[in-house]
Amino acid sequence: MIEIRFHGRGGQGAVIAAELLAQAAFLDGKMPQSFPFFGVERRGAPVTAYARIDDKPIGLRTSIVAPDVVVVLDPGLLATTRVTDGIKPGGLLLVNTHRGPESLAAPPGVRRAVVDATRIALSHGLGTTMMPIVNTAVLGALARATGAVSLEGLTRAVEQFVPARPQDNRFAARDGYLGVRIEAASEAASGAAAAAPAAPARPRVLPEGPVASLSSEAIDTAAWRTFTPVIHLDRCTKCNFCWKFCPDDAIEFDDVGFPKIRLDYCKGCGICAAECPPKTIEMVATEI
Amino acid sequence: MAKLTIPAQELMYPGHAACPGCGAALAMRLLLKGLGPRTILSIPACCWTVIATPYPTTALGVAVLDSAFEATGASISGLRAGADALGLKDVNIVGFAGDGGTADIGLQALSGMLERRTNAIYVMYDNEAYMNTGIQRSGATPWGAWTTTTPTVHGHPGKPELKKDMMGIVLAHRPAYAATLNPSFAEDFERKVERARDIVGPRFLHILAPCPPGWKFDSAQTIALGRLATDTGIFPLYEVVEGRLRVTRKTGSLKPVSEYLTAQGRFRHLKPEDIERIQVGVRATWEELLKREREDLSRAMTPSAPAPAEATLAAK
Amino acid sequence: MTQKVLSGNYAQSYAAQLARVQVISAYPITPQTSIVEKLADFVASGELPAQYVKVESEHSALQVCLSAAALGARTYTATSSQGLLLMHELLHWASGMRAPIVMGVVNRAVGPPWNIGSDHTDTMSQRDTGWIQIYAESNQEVLDTVLQAYRLAEHPDVRLPVMVTEDAFYLSHTVEPVDVPDPERVDRFLPPREPHAVLVPGTASRLGSFTGPDYYVDFRHQVAEATERVPTTFAAVEEEYERIMGRTHGGPFPTYRVDDADAVLVTMGTITTTARSVVDELRASGRKVGLAKLRMFRPFPNDAVRALAATADRIGVVDRSYTFGSMGPAATEVSAALYRSPRRPAVTSFLAGIGGRDVTLQEVRHMFDTLLSGAPAATHWEDLEIEEGAVHG
Repeated sequence: MIEIRFHGRGGQGAVIAAELLAQAAFLDGKMPQSFPFFGVERRGAPVTAYARIDDKPIGLRTSIVAPDVVVVLDPGLLATTRVTDGIKPGGLLLVNTHRGPESLAAPPGVRRAVVDATRIALSHGLGTTMMPIVNTAVLGALARATGAVSLEGLTRAVEQFVPARPQDNRFAARDGYLGVRIEAASEAASGAAAAAPAAPARPRVLPEGPVASLSSEAIDTAAWRTFTPVIHLDRCTKCNFCWKFCPDDAIEFDDVGFPKIRLDYCKGCGICAAECPPKTIEMVATEI
Repeated sequence: MAKLTIPAQELMYPGHAACPGCGAALAMRLLLKGLGPRTILSIPACCWTVIATPYPTTALGVAVLDSAFEATGASISGLRAGADALGLKDVNIVGFAGDGGTADIGLQALSGMLERRTNAIYVMYDNEAYMNTGIQRSGATPWGAWTTTTPTVHGHPGKPELKKDMMGIVLAHRPAYAATLNPSFAEDFERKVERARDIVGPRFLHILAPCPPGWKFDSAQTIALGRLATDTGIFPLYEVVEGRLRVTRKTGSLKPVSEYLTAQGRFRHLKPEDIERIQVGVRATWEELLKREREDLSRAMTPSAPAPAEATLAAK
Repeated sequence: MTQKVLSGNYAQSYAAQLARVQVISAYPITPQTSIVEKLADFVASGELPAQYVKVESEHSALQVCLSAAALGARTYTATSSQGLLLMHELLHWASGMRAPIVMGVVNRAVGPPWNIGSDHTDTMSQRDTGWIQIYAESNQEVLDTVLQAYRLAEHPDVRLPVMVTEDAFYLSHTVEPVDVPDPERVDRFLPPREPHAVLVPGTASRLGSFTGPDYYVDFRHQVAEATERVPTTFAAVEEEYERIMGRTHGGPFPTYRVDDADAVLVTMGTITTTARSVVDELRASGRKVGLAKLRMFRPFPNDAVRALAATADRIGVVDRSYTFGSMGPAATEVSAALYRSPRRPAVTSFLAGIGGRDVTLQEVRHMFDTLLSGAPAATHWEDLEIEEGAVHG
C-alpha cells in the first residue's frame, strides 16, 4: 500500500487531485481510496487531502499521519504548514515549484522531487495567475515519480472525470509527467525538516462551557496569500479607501497617516489595489 | 491622515477565516463600526459561523451567541427579554443571518420577531445562495444564476425562479426601520447602521454581500461589483422609516444590467434575451420604488392626509 | 404554606412563579395550555414580574429561553408531544450550552393518528439530548420537583437543563390538594441564579462557537461528567428541600415494600399510584410483591436499580411508550443496568397505558400475575392482552 498526502489551498484542487488519483489507480486495476480532511474549506486556506492505493481492498478509515508521499500543490505552504510531518524514511516529497529539488527542506532520507506545475497549468490556460489549477500537472509528476499510477490510467481518468477542458488537463498531466525532476536516492535530504511553526499545544483541561474569547489575531492568515499588496507611498493621497474596504481589517496607519499592510493577516484579495483612486497599490506575486 | 468617513473603531479582528475579498466579512466589519462594543450578536449557521474562527478564538470583539439555523428571530427576542429582565441597559441586540437562514429556513422566526415587535436589529447578509455549504441555491438566489443545485448544463437556465422579495415581506410587518445596505457605499452603510441603532423597535437591514467564489469573480472586484449592483438598479439602496420610503442613492440613469451580469461567472450562460428579461424586471422594480417614494413624500407634505396605518403602528 | 386544590398544570405555573423565573416563552399545545395561560395571568397581574415572550412555535419558545439564559436569566417553558418533538434540535443546544432551563412537559401521545392521551413517547424520544428528566406522580410532586429542578439545573456541579414531566390529563387536568409553600421559604431554598459561562455585553466572547475534532469531544465529555454528578447533587437538593419544606419524594428511584418481594414492578408517573394500591392489596393476601418508581429517567439511576436486583427475583417494567423493534425504553434501561449487576433477575417489559389507555387495578394485578407465574421474560402489549383476557376469559 502506498499512502499519499496532498497539501494545497481551498479552490486549488487538492481534494480533486486526490480523487482523480484514486480514479486513475482504479483504471489501472488497483484498489484506491481518497478523502479530504473533514474540515471547512475556504478559498485560499490551507487544505489537506489523502489517497491510498493498494492491490487489495483497503482496510483503513483513518487520516494518513505517516505518508509515503507528500504532495504540495502550492510552494507558499512550505513556510507555514508542516507538510513533511510524519513522512516515512525513504519517502518522497513532491512540490510544485520552479526551483530545484535541492531547494526543499526535508527530513533526512526523504527524496525530493519538483515540478513547475504552475507554469504548465498556465501554458494550457488552466486557471489564472492568481489561482492556477495545477492538480493535473502535479498528478502527472506524481505518476512518474512514484509509479503509483500509470500515465495511461491518469490520462483516462482525466478524460472521464474532469468536466472542464479535459484535453488541456490531459496535456498538463503529460507535461507534468515529462517535466518532473527527481533527485537520486543517494542525494536524499540530510538536513533538517521544514521550519514551519509547530501547532500550539492544546490545553489539557478546558474551562467548562463552549465560550471562545481569544482574539483571532492569534491566527496568521498570511499563508492564504499568493499576491501581496505593495503601497507606493510617494503617490498615496491618504484617502483611506484601502482601509475602508479591506474585508480582513489588514490595513492600519503609520504615525503620519500612511496606510500600512498588516502582512500577518492580508489574504491578498486585491481590493485595496483595485479601489485605490490614484492606483498607488500594486499586487506583487509572493516570493517563495 | 485624512478625515475618516466611517468610524475608526474596529470590532472585527483580522485572522478570521473568510475567503479573500469576502463581502460578508466587510459587511460585519462595517456593521460593528456603527454599532459599537455594547452589541450582542446572535449568529445562526452561516458563513460567519466559520469566519469567526474555531474555539478557542473569536474574530468578533463583541458578545456572540451561536444559534440553530432557523432560530435567529427567536434568539434576538430571547436576548432582548433576557437583557430587559436582567436590567442590561444600552445594548444593541442584533441577529446576523445569511440569506438562506433568513429567507428560507429562518423566515418563520423572523416573522415572529417582527410581529411581536422585538426591540432588536435583524441583519440579513445576502450572498444569494448557501455559500457555506458550497453554493447551493436559496430563496434569495436571483433568476438565472448558476449554483451547484441549479446547474446550467444541457441547456438548463440556472435558477428558474425569481429572488424572494425579503424587503417586501419585512415591510408587510411594519418594522420600525428597514433598509438596504451595500458595503461598496460605506458611508451610506454607516449612516443606516447608526440610524437603525438609535431607533427603538424591530429593525431590518438587508446587506448585499458579494461572494467571489460563489458568484465567480475575481476577489479584487468585490467593491466594484457591489457598486454595479446598485448603479444598475439590481440592488437599489433605500430605507423605510415609519412606513415612509426614501431612495438613498440615485444616479441620473441606471447602468445596463449586462455590466453587472457579465462580470460574474454565475451568469455567464445567460443569453441576450435572458439579460433583456432581467433588464425589464429591474427597470420595473426601480420605477415602482421611485413611485412609492413620491407617494410617501406627497403624503408627508399634506398635513390633512391621514397617516398610513403602518406608520402609526410603527411609531408606537 | 397554603393548601390549594390545583391541577398538575397549575402546579407547574405556581412553581414557576415561586421560582421567580425572569423569562417565560411558550407556544400553546393541548394539554399544556393552562400552564402558560396561568402564567400569563400571573405576569399580567404583576404577581410575577417576568418577561413573557409569546412565540410562533415551540422551536422558537426554547430558543427564546436559551438566548435569555445565555445572558444569565432564569427561564421557564412548557410543552407537550409534537411541540417537544419540534424542539428536538434545540434540546441539544440547551445541554451543549449548559443552559439551566427548566421545562414542564405534559406527556402526550405522538401522532399519527392524532391522540392527546397520556403517553411517554414524546419525552422518551428525547432521552439522548442531554436533559435531565424527572417524571412526577402527583401534582404535589410536580410543584416540588419544578422547584428542585431549578436548584439542580443551576448547581455549579451540574448546569444542565431539566424537564419535569406529568402525565396528560391524569395530572395535567386532575385537580387535587397541593401544599403551596410560602414565597419566603422558597427563596430560602432557591436563591437567584448565579450565572456561569454566560455572555457579558461589552466583552469579546462567543458562546457556542465551533470546533474541530480537537476540542469537540472535551465539551461532550464535560456534559457527560456533569450528568454523572447529578445523583449526588440531586440527593443534596432533596435533602435541603426536605429540611426547608418538610417534604421529600424519595430520590430518583424510591421503592415501596420491596424488601422481601419475589416480584417488583417498576413504574413511571401516574401508573405508580394505582400500582401502589395493588401492592397493598396483594400483600394483604400474602403475595410478596413490591414497587419501584422510576422518578428520574435521565440520568438513569443505575446503582439504585442494581440494589433492587439484590433482593427481587423477577422485575417487570411498565412503559407508557415503546421502542419499535425492542422493548419499552425503561425496560431496556433496567436490563442494561442489571447486566453489570452480580444478580440479573429476568426483566419483563409491559407496555401499558399507550395513548391514554387507563391502566386499571385489574391490569396491574394481571402484570403481577404474569411475573409471579414464572413465565419467561417477554414483552407484553398489556393494553391488548387485558382486552383479550376480558373477551376470552
